Amino acid sequence: MLFDTTQLALERAIGGAGKRHEALAANIANANTPGYQRLDVDFHGALASAISRGEESKIALERLSFNPARDAAAGATRADGSTVDIDSEAAKLAENALEQQAAVQVAHARINILKSAMGLG
Amino acid sequence: MSMFGGLEISASGLTAERLRMDVVAENLANAQTTRGVDGQPYRRKEVILQEAPGSFGASLSAAMGGGANHPGGGVQVAGIVEDPTPSKRIYDPGHPDADAEGYVSMPNVDTVSEMVDLISASRAYEANVTAMQAAKQMFSRTLELLR
Repeated sequence: MLFDTTQLALERAIGGAGKRHEALAANIANANTPGYQRLDVDFHGALASAISRGEESKIALERLSFNPARDAAAGATRADGSTVDIDSEAAKLAENALEQQAAVQVAHARINILKSAMGLG
Repeated sequence: MSMFGGLEISASGLTAERLRMDVVAENLANAQTTRGVDGQPYRRKEVILQEAPGSFGASLSAAMGGGANHPGGGVQVAGIVEDPTPSKRIYDPGHPDADAEGYVSMPNVDTVSEMVDLISASRAYEANVTAMQAAKQMFSRTLELLR
């Protein structure tokens, strides 16, 4: 199989990290917006539930879409009701970028393995 | 889904924070202005920020069942408003704008709080730059998959 479940999951993880980056960038852009509720994308949870579906996991992965949601668990960090803590947003952003790069590298390595198997490496 | 959405969102943050810095600079420059455009002492201005609605594409995918929440398009300026706090009155009978009792109405600008606003805007600007750099790095790494 050229593109197995693992490869598909890696690609969806790259996409999910991209979506999460958008949500975290929106939080940082709204760092000074009164009453702003922070956004986040739980792509780990979505990926985990898609992979755990056994035989159907490939279809589930292909249909997977990542939706940013308001983070209801986050308490207000400022007097104006905003739930954005700019330091923790920056930390999450850095972590998310590294996670995306890790997924890209693994996907790249797997493609290289296929290439050398085909005699193209 | 726009590939460069993250960059646009951070760019909206840069625009908003730069405007805040511009308004702080205007307030500081006019901290002693007793004759504003309307002949009255200058009044301190403040930027009101609000969350920007998502792009057309994001709203469409949300309407088509992609979930009720979609990321906003970043931040936008709702308006620049004047601070309604009363003007400071200082006693200076020699001032040409002094009233009959010798008091001059000075702008309601507090230079210390302006400096605090300036630092806050500058730090938020830097955070948006960092987010932009991370987005650029993520895109260029993803493009390496094609090599």
